[in-house]
Amino acid sequence: MFAVEAKNLKKTFKTKQGDVEAVKDVSFQVNNGEIFGILGPNGAGKSTTILMLTTLLRVTSGNGKIQGLDVGQDDSEVRKKIGIALQDTGIDNLLTGRELFFTTARLWGFSKSDAKKRTLEMLDLVGLTEAADRRVKTYSGGMKRRLDLGLSLVHKPEVLFLDEPTTGLDPGSRRVLWEEIKRLREDGVTIILTTQYLEEADELADRISIIDNGLVVAEGTPDELKTSIGGDVITFIFHSYEDAKKAKGLVSNSEIENNELRTTVENGAERIPDLLNKLSENELEVVSVSANKPSLDDVFLQVTGYRLEGAADTEEELIENE
Amino acid sequence: MNNSNAPFLLQLGILTKRLLLRLSRRPLAELPNIFISAFFLLVYDGALGGVFGGSAAGTPFDFAKGNFLNFILPVSIVSASVSGGASGIYLVEDIESGVFKRYQGMPISKWAIILAPIVVGAVRVLLQATLIMTLGNLIGADPATGIWGYFAVLGMAFFWGMGFAGYSVAAGVRSGSSQGAQAATFLFFPALFLAPTFTPRYALKGWLETAAAYNPTTYVLEGMRAIMIEGWVSDLILKGFLVAGGFAFITLTFAVLSARRATEKS
Ligand SMILES: Nc1ncnc2c1ncn2[C@@H]1O[C@H](COP(=O)(O)OP(=O)(O)OP(=O)(O)O)[C@@H](O)[C@H]1O
Ligand SMILES: [Mg+2]
Repeated sequence: MFAVEAKNLKKTFKTKQGDVEAVKDVSFQVNNGEIFGILGPNGAGKSTTILMLTTLLRVTSGNGKIQGLDVGQDDSEVRKKIGIALQDTGIDNLLTGRELFFTTARLWGFSKSDAKKRTLEMLDLVGLTEAADRRVKTYSGGMKRRLDLGLSLVHKPEVLFLDEPTTGLDPGSRRVLWEEIKRLREDGVTIILTTQYLEEADELADRISIIDNGLVVAEGTPDELKTSIGGDVITFIFHSYEDAKKAKGLVSNSEIENNELRTTVENGAERIPDLLNKLSENELEVVSVSANKPSLDDVFLQVTGYRLEGAADTEEELIENE
Repeated sequence: MNNSNAPFLLQLGILTKRLLLRLSRRPLAELPNIFISAFFLLVYDGALGGVFGGSAAGTPFDFAKGNFLNFILPVSIVSASVSGGASGIYLVEDIESGVFKRYQGMPISKWAIILAPIVVGAVRVLLQATLIMTLGNLIGADPATGIWGYFAVLGMAFFWGMGFAGYSVAAGVRSGSSQGAQAATFLFFPALFLAPTFTPRYALKGWLETAAAYNPTTYVLEGMRAIMIEGWVSDLILKGFLVAGGFAFITLTFAVLSARRATEKS
């Protein structure tokens, strides 16, 4: 049995301006104990997919299963099995971290003394023991995310959903959270994580589903995805965009971006001399050239036709500090 | 893996405690309403007590039977019970911050989520009304029904405040904004002043007397006044309780229906 199974999930929002097809057709299967990454740009439908799988949103068609339980029919059973850290879930700013863990544990049915014990464990797990008695209002963005992660773990869920857990965090805080997420996998928790960061998907996910525009456009382990492109990526850097454009006419199956030209070939190292000759015959001066194994970035470009990184960076939001 | 979740009443208790904790973190938010109610009491007694107090004895305006404080204290209590309207604001704050959504992802009864702010609103009303009555007692109020009269007035204030709480929760959930919830507080002005606020009903001008007859506040004020001035006059007191209770029943039903809609999955 799969930990999570999405089968032709579809969600259409009815709005006054017409219907919005947030998720058109998303299917994937997540094995027990793995970290499954859902990678996609802003508006791809990541959050909507997560909301459906966590019972918080009705599915328009298709279905979702958590360890065999249907997210629509068995929603209260499903909720007991899963932990949820949503993208935009507020934390009660007026209370302290300790109070929030305690309250959450009590709501999950822990007795007073067990809730106290669990609170201490959780504060320790997410590194908030020092800040336990401060109001959450005074926490940094990274601390709030760790608190949020901790709150979703209080009842020891078997499956954890994290919607963009590190968006807006600085690289240091991001690493801290990554380490915590990996530790959870070691404890046997199945994790479904959405992200718009290629690096994050690469670092954490055992398997990745790339979604764009409400559709799954690629799926596999990071290595599978990279080798699916086949061969190596050769990057030529020119003096100008014009040169790069001219070169595009000479090199088959290539893409340009500013003054860079990329092409994917079998055996990059062997092809470079050939290509360089061809370019210099046409009086195009190459500033530098390199051959690399494809990155997830290249995979993303191949399956969607555009790069993710730029898109994610410009629209990146900072965490609101109320 | 923890498979049980807290039973309903425990959930309600935990959520109520959480809201009370929040309340205690910003105690200043309580002050304006207490202040206004106390202000009403002192100013109206100061302004009108001289005319309608002891010196009115033997005139047709002796409706306070010598102690205008007994007559005007219910006005302050009713104005204090509007603080129940904060319930809707609590709920909307949780909706706006996303805490509401967090709870929806947990196996918690949605009724507990809706009822907790109403309970806290009612607790606020009890506290504020108690404070106002203590003040009134200190400066000379003396209910005809003795000390138990205060409890009866408090009981009526409690239902009345629940009514406002229910109304504000419904308004808040329907509008989804704190402004919507705040609107409950505006209802208070016509409610309080299109009523026999300063004199009995028979002394009001025709149009106001008519408006007052349709205003539930009238019956609550008259019920409380009967307790303060006349003694255990059963019909007026009963009417007061029925009207306050009816108001609470109607608005709570309205709140529950609205909440059902708000917690529907989209
Ligand atoms: N409640 C809603 N009503 C109408 N449209 C919605 C609603 N929620 C989401 N959408 C639309 O559905 C699409 C997918 O949104 P979603 O939030 O799932 O994207 P996302 O991949 O999580 O993006 P991000 O990285 O910005 O969080 C977007 O075009 C969004 O505007
Ligand atoms: Mg999202």
